[in-house]
Amino acid sequence: MATIQLDDLDRQLIELLAKDARVSNRKIATELGVTEGTVRGRIKRLQQERLITFTAITGLQMASNSRLAFIWVQAEVERTREVARQIAEIDPVNAVMITMGSFNIMAMCLFEELDDLVEVASDKILAVPGVHHVETSIAVKTVKYNARVAKITETSPIEGNGTDSDE
Amino acid sequence: MKNDFSFDETDRLIVAELRKNGRATNQQIAERLGLTATTVSSRIRRMEDANQLRVVAVSDFAAHGYDVLMQLAIEVDSRPASEVAHELAQFPEVFAVHIVTGRYDIDALLVLHDFTDMTHFVLDQLSSIRGIRKITPSIAVDILRYKFDVAPIETRD
Repeated sequence: MATIQLDDLDRQLIELLAKDARVSNRKIATELGVTEGTVRGRIKRLQQERLITFTAITGLQMASNSRLAFIWVQAEVERTREVARQIAEIDPVNAVMITMGSFNIMAMCLFEELDDLVEVASDKILAVPGVHHVETSIAVKTVKYNARVAKITETSPIEGNGTDSDE
Repeated sequence: MKNDFSFDETDRLIVAELRKNGRATNQQIAERLGLTATTVSSRIRRMEDANQLRVVAVSDFAAHGYDVLMQLAIEVDSRPASEVAHELAQFPEVFAVHIVTGRYDIDALLVLHDFTDMTHFVLDQLSSIRGIRKITPSIAVDILRYKFDVAPIETRD
């Protein structure tokens, strides 16, 4: 996590695009009082530096009964990175981080049926070599979730090319 | 009204294109899917109006100057967990709060600019919340995957 210097224009751009990414460069340019070329160039730079990515967030209706589970993993310390990498490849797993605390890996996973969670946590993750223990905790209520801020990793889409989108 | 909404196959295909590139033009999406730009535009509007879709820029923690990500496992005592959760949710540094099953009651994700921010967060903010019995923090030292594209959607103002 390197320190990055953003100026006010970058921040205004991020704020605007976080509300709606389908606004045209022209409209953004008018609103911020800069040229379209500046808008295009800034967006491109922010994407190249992996500071923003454009995506579609769908409501819970799309995945009718989606529930979030936190999966805590105790793995052999010297194999932590390798184990975490393998967990990150299990498809329904949405997030994986290596942590310092009571457990050394935490994964988050959206699932629809309890059976799916059992498959991920008790079958797949527990079977990864080096994993000693797995605990799950199911989110029964979301009080707050800000999907606009995240860690942009290699697997995130960065294809958004920042061309004009039509109104 | 929100509950009446359902995604059909065309909606799902459009969403899949938007997930690849949220800034693709209606025309580009239409060409790829064999639809008209008008159909793409009205489908997107329909999903947005039903609060089931937002096409947005997701920014990295680093873009906001956040360098520390922590997860807090919180145990509550003598107070409804949802009250404590709502108070936690008011802090901007706390970007996710969930009430959970298991050995603790609330799971919160916290971002900080650096460890010196911890003093203010723990002593001025957390300590103002009644009913927290125990907090077990886990500090993220590396993030290998982080991808959520389904989330609760707020209504647009």
